[in-house]
Amino acid sequence: MKQTILIVDDMEINRAILAEGFGDDYNILEAENGHQAMEIINSTENISAVLLDLVMPEMDGLGVLHRMNKNGKISQIPVFIITAADSAQMMMDAYNMGAVDVISKPFMINFLKCRVGNIIELYRRRNDLESIVDEQVKRLNKYNQSLVEILATLVEFRDCESGEHVKRICGLTEILMTAVSDMFPEYHLPKHEIDKIVSSSVLHDIGKICIPDAILNKPGKLTKEEFEVMKQHTVMGCQILTNIPDVMDKAIYNYSYDICRHHHERWDGRGYPDGLKGDEISIWSQVVSVVDVYDALVSPRVYKDPFDHETSVKMICGGECGTFNPKVLEAFNSSIDKIKAYRIQAD
Amino acid sequence: MSLTNELAKLGADIDDALQRFMGNEKLYIRMLGKLPKAVADAEVISHFESGNYDAALTNAHTLKGVMGNLSITPLYKAYSDAVALLRESKPNEAKIKIDEILPLQKDIIDCIEKYN
Repeated sequence: MKQTILIVDDMEINRAILAEGFGDDYNILEAENGHQAMEIINSTENISAVLLDLVMPEMDGLGVLHRMNKNGKISQIPVFIITAADSAQMMMDAYNMGAVDVISKPFMINFLKCRVGNIIELYRRRNDLESIVDEQVKRLNKYNQSLVEILATLVEFRDCESGEHVKRICGLTEILMTAVSDMFPEYHLPKHEIDKIVSSSVLHDIGKICIPDAILNKPGKLTKEEFEVMKQHTVMGCQILTNIPDVMDKAIYNYSYDICRHHHERWDGRGYPDGLKGDEISIWSQVVSVVDVYDALVSPRVYKDPFDHETSVKMICGGECGTFNPKVLEAFNSSIDKIKAYRIQAD
Repeated sequence: MSLTNELAKLGADIDDALQRFMGNEKLYIRMLGKLPKAVADAEVISHFESGNYDAALTNAHTLKGVMGNLSITPLYKAYSDAVALLRESKPNEAKIKIDEILPLQKDIIDCIEKYN
């Protein structure tokens, strides 16, 4: 399939010379001023190059470059300035605004075709490479995430769970983190950061792999000493993560580490392991705390039967499971329907 | 006598032009056929008379490019000089340059129109 070149020049004769020169090898589009050129650039996909005159009525060549810088097209489409070069400043301005080459009139059409063709080929190879790299990065991220999920699920199987808890934590974290971010500007996070937090939440209990079976799977209430051992899963989880930093990207590692260590901290400072208080605890760890407690309440455990949704919400909001940030609880309450629906669907 | 022979006598560099047009004489002649309209569209001298030197500069710049691409060397040189003088804010000297080549430009346009 032929590639497409846009020729922009106010003089028909100049457009005709270029169109004749390039017409055998490329599809040709023409514009006689900058406004027409921008309309074509914005409405046409896959323009391979723009041959642009500088001095034109209505909008000149520098105006076109300015707009292509503003809408980002300049990094996608190579622009060749073709000008009766008599102002060094204008040519310099064109280079500074992203033109790949400045070609003086009069030009030799053969040389011009070689110069334009070479750059089009370079851009094509660059674009191909970029899409290959994008695809590989996506696949790598997917493998990494799978590895992380496998790790978390293995830990959970030891905990006599089915592996569904970690998946539900992801879904619930997404719902509550999004609500907190939308409702409270001081906690606002862009979507791509929330996605990373969701991915990281899966590892919150990885430290449980280090807890003896007799304690982890004890059907009754833990003694004080046993509970002290159990509390160590937060710190042990971080130790495991420090040994596998390369499994995940840096941001996910940092979120995972923080959530692992602090998802049992409480707003009033009575949590563990560090006794952090209020906003000393990161908002993502606060969010995972609430959803972890919620999911534990509504799920059966070796030491208890499941509570229903309404009772669980009442226990969390009534402070029976420790004190939480009032803003997180407000977001939790406003998301109750979504949380309940998610829970029913997950079951 | 052909168009290119006549234009060569009027100062056009035909060898240079054919090199520019990949040896395609037919294409060159077709493009020459568009020159009369281009000159009419980018008329320069009236802008000197009305004192609109920006418009004079724009059109002189345009014709400089066109004459260059068609290798009409004396007109290319005259418009190049005029553009340089206008950029140096010397409109009177620029106008003299254009005035000087207008008769030759007329001969060239007449010649092309004869073959159009």
